[in-house]
Amino acid sequence: MSCSPFDLKGYCFKELGESERRLTEVHVRTCARCREELDRLRGVEAALLALPDEEIPQRIGFVSDPVFQPSALRRGWEALWGSAARLGFASAAMLSAALVVYSITRPVPQANAPAPAIVRAALEKDFARRLNDAVANAVAKAVTESEARQARQTQALLAASDRRHALETQAMMVRVQEYLDVEKKHLDTLRVMASNEYGGANGEAR
Amino acid sequence: MIFRAVEDADLIRKARRGDVEAYNLLISRWERRVYNYLLRIVGNREDALDLSQDVFLKAYQNLRKLDDPARFAPWLYRIAHNEAYSLFRKRRPEGETEELQPETLEGAATVGGNAVFPVELTLAVSTALRKLTSDQRETVVLKIYQGFKFEEIAEIVAAPVSTVKSRLYTALELLKNELAPVKARGVS
Repeated sequence: MSCSPFDLKGYCFKELGESERRLTEVHVRTCARCREELDRLRGVEAALLALPDEEIPQRIGFVSDPVFQPSALRRGWEALWGSAARLGFASAAMLSAALVVYSITRPVPQANAPAPAIVRAALEKDFARRLNDAVANAVAKAVTESEARQARQTQALLAASDRRHALETQAMMVRVQEYLDVEKKHLDTLRVMASNEYGGANGEAR
Repeated sequence: MIFRAVEDADLIRKARRGDVEAYNLLISRWERRVYNYLLRIVGNREDALDLSQDVFLKAYQNLRKLDDPARFAPWLYRIAHNEAYSLFRKRRPEGETEELQPETLEGAATVGGNAVFPVELTLAVSTALRKLTSDQRETVVLKIYQGFKFEEIAEIVAAPVSTVKSRLYTALELLKNELAPVKARGVS
């Protein structure tokens, strides 16, 4: 037994702090009972240490075998989970990356903006209306242009046809006139010949 | 003082990179201590050797989980403690809750037909240690034979420091009484 509050066992096995160790040391010098107790404890320690360590009967050693070695992926994974610092760094890096991506991709906030769902619906409706108007305008314009182009082509064709018809008519009139001129000449020639023949007959008859 | 050209921490760093030779050197520094710790807990050379091999294999496979290489010793002994108690659980019959005792501690003097601890004192110490509970005995082994501090022992056996102190102090009282007659005969 030792005098309370001195921890002789802690003192014997060097588990006391510096100040507590000095106080105990001073006390042991003056207390015969504690000195005897300390001697008994040291005797027990000495007796225990008389039991010697044994040599290991067979040395332990490993050969460089891939079977015993974790894969590079596993080493990296275990290194990550086995180290609080590395895991913390990786978590911080992932969080930072997520914040950067969010800041890049998020829509620009508007003052007094309605709820996102309503804004989205209104935007979609406005976009559909504008798209329909644009399509209708484009179709109408294309139809108008097509009709005008067809009208111009029709007029051109009609004009060409008229010109060709006029030319043909004119050519035909020229040919008819030529024919009439020939026939007139022929008729005049016959008339002259008939006149000559008739005059000659009268003279003979007289 | 032992001068070591290469510290354990350097060997651990090399072993982590797959340097088996560095790990073998680390084993050579610790195998005797781990073997004797296990021998005093399980009381059987064969089991102590098997467990020692398992301990160093598990330590190698989990070396990357060791955050601080300076804490290698308590970490290694924690593995050894788990292996020893795992063996105890395997060998304990179903439903038995009695305190586990080293299997052949008394026979340690004759294991393999050779005298291991021939003198009377070592027999007396062996007998006295056998009368402790397994928790008390392990605490004595870690403190007296392995020289760990209370905080380190608490880490190894996963118990509060106060529990460790209580186990050791109780064990010392028992050992003091057991070994007193031997001392009185002047064996020590």
